[in-house]
Amino acid sequence: MKQLEEVKKNLLLEYCLERFGINPEIWEGYIWYSGSKNKIYLANTLELERIIPESKGICIFRLDKSPKPTTNFLQLFGRYITRNYVELDNENTKKYCRGEDLILENNKSIIPGFLLMTNKNRFLGCGHWNGKILKNQLPKSKFCKINFL
Amino acid sequence: MDKYQNIRNNIIDRYSCLVDDEKKFADSINIPLKQSFRVNTLKEKKKTVINKLKEYDSNIKTTKWNDNAHISELNNLGSSLEHFVGQIYIQELTSMIPPLIVKDLIKDIKIIDCCAAPGSKTTQIAAMMENKGHIIANDARHARLKSLRGNLDRLGVTNTSVTLRDFKSFPNTSADLYFVDAPCSSEGTIRKKNAVARTWKERDYLRFNKLQNGLLSKACEMAPSGSTIVYSTCTFSPDENEKVVSETLDKYDLKMKTISIENLRSESGITEWNNESYNSEVKKCMRVWPHHNDTDAFFIARMEKY
Ligand SMILES: C[S@@+](CC[C@H](N)C(=O)[O-])C[C@H]1O[C@@H](n2cnc3c(N)ncnc32)[C@H](O)[C@@H]1O
Repeated sequence: MKQLEEVKKNLLLEYCLERFGINPEIWEGYIWYSGSKNKIYLANTLELERIIPESKGICIFRLDKSPKPTTNFLQLFGRYITRNYVELDNENTKKYCRGEDLILENNKSIIPGFLLMTNKNRFLGCGHWNGKILKNQLPKSKFCKINFL
Repeated sequence: MDKYQNIRNNIIDRYSCLVDDEKKFADSINIPLKQSFRVNTLKEKKKTVINKLKEYDSNIKTTKWNDNAHISELNNLGSSLEHFVGQIYIQELTSMIPPLIVKDLIKDIKIIDCCAAPGSKTTQIAAMMENKGHIIANDARHARLKSLRGNLDRLGVTNTSVTLRDFKSFPNTSADLYFVDAPCSSEGTIRKKNAVARTWKERDYLRFNKLQNGLLSKACEMAPSGSTIVYSTCTFSPDENEKVVSETLDKYDLKMKTISIENLRSESGITEWNNESYNSEVKKCMRVWPHHNDTDAFFIARMEKY
């Protein structure tokens, strides 16, 4: 893992602000890293001597052509997100957690792109709205049958 | 009779001589434990989460010795939304003890968790540090790193680097605090569902002793003067507990610290087993017996490097 170039970091800071309204001040004290497969990590860890870590902090983005936020990122920083989030009812929350795509009612005001899915102040993770359907972005490893919510 | 009854009986026979009340000890071993958990304060306030969980189980109780250790009548809190979003972590009550006995030290410091997977203690420590300071979470087994990483991600831990090494050959690294939560025969978890349930032979205990000695010795070698080392296991076996600490005390300049947790009943380390005597300082170790607080069994020692 190496430190992320300033240009790419600024691109992501801008994306966080533009898309999710995240105040850039919250990033103070963190170091941004790039790892394999275009993954971007956020950490406030020490530089280690004589040992190469497997990972540092948490993976927050995939940066291919455009940035894709991870579910870990949205779950942790959801409380700072002020736009492009969608509140799900309990039925849709269960479907989302099982990994299903969703049809969203009242979708006129949703701007296509990545969204934070929420349920009563609980930050569920990432979805992608293409104007017609909400594509589930949960990694398979997180698929889960929810019994209590 | 279920298939684990023989194993339980072996444990009762082997360790009854060490306990204050054989009947209560035997009874407790035969009663399964309820599910316990803590709130991940990196994500949400304790009160908010507990209030919500009480909608699913109105009988949730908090222990009197740890205000973030809770017990539920439900056995599937892993399928709650709070678990999904990383607001709770299901963890045995005794597994929460090591970070508690060094609460005075855990702040913005550097910590090495030598045997960290699946990360119960790493994530607990990170929450106590409020994601400040630095943790190196190491484990030797690649397969277990996946669950460690998964838990760090789910709980939102950002102050931790993960390393994959046999800790015995870990490069010397200075830190303020070392946790050696060693691999062990895990006899103390027998009350847990799906516990590692098998019968161990004398030579197995000695094999674990050798591995544990190697891990603890490595931590003692790299620890700078003034730093703290916490050794713990979830087994009753003195060969893996007091014997390991005693042998380590004989090799390194260490000062044993007395430990206690308010409202948690515990006993001192034992100084004799199988016709062998240990360094008398091992009395300062802490033994937690299942029948005293309705938990698993646990062993823990706190040492300071001179
Ligand atoms: C009791 S478990 C640790 C539990 C962990 N501390 C927690 O709270 O979730 C012991 C761990 O030690 C690891 N281990 C075994 N031998 C090791 C070695 N030589 N170096 C580092 N870790 C080792 C095992 O893979 C296992 O994950």
